[in-house]
Amino acid sequence: MFEFFNQPEVIKVIVTFGSMLLFFVGLFGLLTRKHIIKIFISIAIMESAVFLIFIGLTFKLDFIAPILDSVNVEASTMNDPIPHAMILTAIVIGMAVLALGVSFAIEYFKLTGKTDIDEMNEMRH
Amino acid sequence: MSVKKISLKRELPTTTLSGFALSGLLVLTILNILLQNMPSKIQTAGDALLKLNATEGVANAVTTVVVFFRGFDTLGEIAVLFIASLGIGLMLHSNSRCNIKSESNFMLQTASKLLFPIIILFGIYVMIYGHLSPGGGFQGGVIIASAVLLLLISHKAFEVPHSVIVALETFAGVSYVLIGLIGLLVLDIFLGNFLPHDISQMGLLLSGGIIPLIYIIVGIKVGSEMSMIVQNLIKRDHDV
Amino acid sequence: MSSILFVALPLLFGFATPILSKFGKNGVAYTSTLMQLFLLALAVSLLMTTSSYVEIISIAPPLGISFVLNSASLFFVLLFTLLMMLFSFYYLIHRKTDAYKDETKFFILLNMLLAAAIGLVLSSDIFNIYVFFEIAGISAYILSAYKKTPSALEAGLKYLLTGAVASVFLVFAIALIYINIGSLNLAIISQGFETLPYNVKVLISIFLLIGFGFKVEIFPLNFWVTDVYQGSSSLVNTLFSGIVVKAYLFVFFHILYLFLPSGEFSVFLIYLGAVSMLVAEIAGLRQTNLKRLFAYSSLGQVALIFTAFAMQNADAVQAALFIVLAHSVAKFIIFLAITSIYREHKSFDITTLKELNSPFLRAIMLIAMLSLLGIPLFAGFIGKFLVLKSLAVEGMFMVLAIIIIGSLIEAVYYFKLAGFMFEKGEKRELLKISLGEKTLFGLLALALIIIGIVPMTISGFLLDAGSVMLDAKSYVTMLVGG
Repeated sequence: MFEFFNQPEVIKVIVTFGSMLLFFVGLFGLLTRKHIIKIFISIAIMESAVFLIFIGLTFKLDFIAPILDSVNVEASTMNDPIPHAMILTAIVIGMAVLALGVSFAIEYFKLTGKTDIDEMNEMRH
Repeated sequence: MSVKKISLKRELPTTTLSGFALSGLLVLTILNILLQNMPSKIQTAGDALLKLNATEGVANAVTTVVVFFRGFDTLGEIAVLFIASLGIGLMLHSNSRCNIKSESNFMLQTASKLLFPIIILFGIYVMIYGHLSPGGGFQGGVIIASAVLLLLISHKAFEVPHSVIVALETFAGVSYVLIGLIGLLVLDIFLGNFLPHDISQMGLLLSGGIIPLIYIIVGIKVGSEMSMIVQNLIKRDHDV
Repeated sequence: MSSILFVALPLLFGFATPILSKFGKNGVAYTSTLMQLFLLALAVSLLMTTSSYVEIISIAPPLGISFVLNSASLFFVLLFTLLMMLFSFYYLIHRKTDAYKDETKFFILLNMLLAAAIGLVLSSDIFNIYVFFEIAGISAYILSAYKKTPSALEAGLKYLLTGAVASVFLVFAIALIYINIGSLNLAIISQGFETLPYNVKVLISIFLLIGFGFKVEIFPLNFWVTDVYQGSSSLVNTLFSGIVVKAYLFVFFHILYLFLPSGEFSVFLIYLGAVSMLVAEIAGLRQTNLKRLFAYSSLGQVALIFTAFAMQNADAVQAALFIVLAHSVAKFIIFLAITSIYREHKSFDITTLKELNSPFLRAIMLIAMLSLLGIPLFAGFIGKFLVLKSLAVEGMFMVLAIIIIGSLIEAVYYFKLAGFMFEKGEKRELLKISLGEKTLFGLLALALIIIGIVPMTISGFLLDAGSVMLDAKSYVTMLVGG
């Protein structure tokens, strides 16, 4: 039975389902939650889902990691290194933006004591 | 003080339900489209870059891609991290000297002081060997920052001096751009590989030209900036 | 001289600021202005000497990143360097009385914003464009929240939230593009995009539209713009409406022209732009805060530029470039004038215009507003006229009507403002404008009038830039084939 699950197509379907479930959780949190830190966490969850689906769908199962040493010198059986590089960059950028957002929220809370995004209306229309 | 009315009827949570429905609908359509069009094996740019990797003489192909083939993106990412730590310093900078409210117990203090140099050494190892085995500047820098975090949360008065962090940051950032500009002068290509990168040297520490150099610079910058971000987030004006 | 200096020099400046601040309090300010002057000279020299070329970074395209310099990107590079230099001159005068705290950080953020805007315009690799989006975004978030008052922090928070959500969708789109096409270079993606299955094309286009739509300020994704403009200081608003949004517009349409050359999607975008303009202008009618009112006006003008670009023919794109130029200069005048007024009056309410006692500022603001409306003899006229002519030629009379109604509504509140300014009544004492500021405002206003009277001087250049922007085939050949 487990040979069925080891096929590349089935694994890709499972990965797609899993990361879309994660994306759904993040999107749900973004749309319905009012506390600013929960909104930041939802955005982080959505980003993780996108990275998962990216790596999952560009991963070739029988291939090996793209590191050359004395044993593995064949470049044609190695996985694609570009998604790895892109996701490294995107993780760091996402983390930097969210850390900045948390610092804004902390400073705002220190000044006004509000964390609910519906109550943030300093600017009356 | 106003009296809050509590309704005895069970209300329908409209926002939750509509959010659930909307996001569910969106995700189901995306899922549908993705499952219908599962990508087949195509020749990607990454495969071509893998073949080119041998000319750079670096064992870890991901490092070559991150540092050299897409080194401009890494420079941009360093800039984002730099600006973010600048912004966090602008928002949260305080002159308070204490990290935690009370002294932690003796075991925690001793253990963290013992572990600190080991973690730093491991971080430096991951940073320097980034072009030979999985790892690299970002990973090593974050490990170093986690060591600083360990000391910050276990000791009341520990802090990394601001001038040290700023000096390391400045040195690393300026040298990254200068290496790129030297490549522009020597090879007429920004961030070109102008140091010798013979393929016979693959697997040795000094291989790959500017690639290990840049990754160490990136590691220093990421380590110092993450330490500063963590320090700014922890140091607060406690009600002493 | 290489075009990479436009990005490398401001980054070097930003990283080296702690060294530069050792040269005294003014070291950073003057070095920054000198560097921007050098970049402007570089841009002008590139205009005079070179034709289109590709600047290689690390490795040749299509495997690596490269900068493409053609007349369209050169127009934007010139515009950004010129405007940023004028902004620096204004700030050098402004800081004598109202300097920002922690000024070195302010200069770093300014220069990072400039580097990112120019990088967006020049880059030819979609992931590189995403990285520059993040650099520009994060500098803008901090600039927005710089004053650390509750409204500034709220503006920064809202900007950051919408920017982060936009980034998630943009990364998803880039991931789908790489999974299905296998490259990150714009030329190769544009070659492979037509061969994708229909559903995948629609999904990627929708994600790109959502991701860019937040930043390009199109209805209904522009709910954040007016709050951000109201919370940030008016100095920062000049940068947002004059430089940042123009870079985002160029990138969006550059990618659109390469991926989806024509079809139903463009028609949908034209209607979207027209509706955005109408909604923005109607909402601007009952505003009482100067910054918020001009934010709605910016939204309307940006929607007009969006509609013009979406029509995808050379005359419309030339018109869009005219409006880009006229709008950036006019909004610079208006927001910098509001900053000067705030220095004395300490209020952003529109009734302070009644107390304004400075004939120079009143004349300057009147010129800017007339140009924004599209009155003949001012720079805004030719752009708007060409857009309306293109719409009539295409036969889209509904869109034509919506735009005319939107412009009429805009005229209503501009005339209300002008009425306040020229009202006879209690005025404060004479507002002193220094000679430097007078020269600056005078230059900008003179530019508006000269372009209005003799648009032929630059219309040829703009027509060439427009057709180059639309020409996907030669772009692709430059990167891949040639």
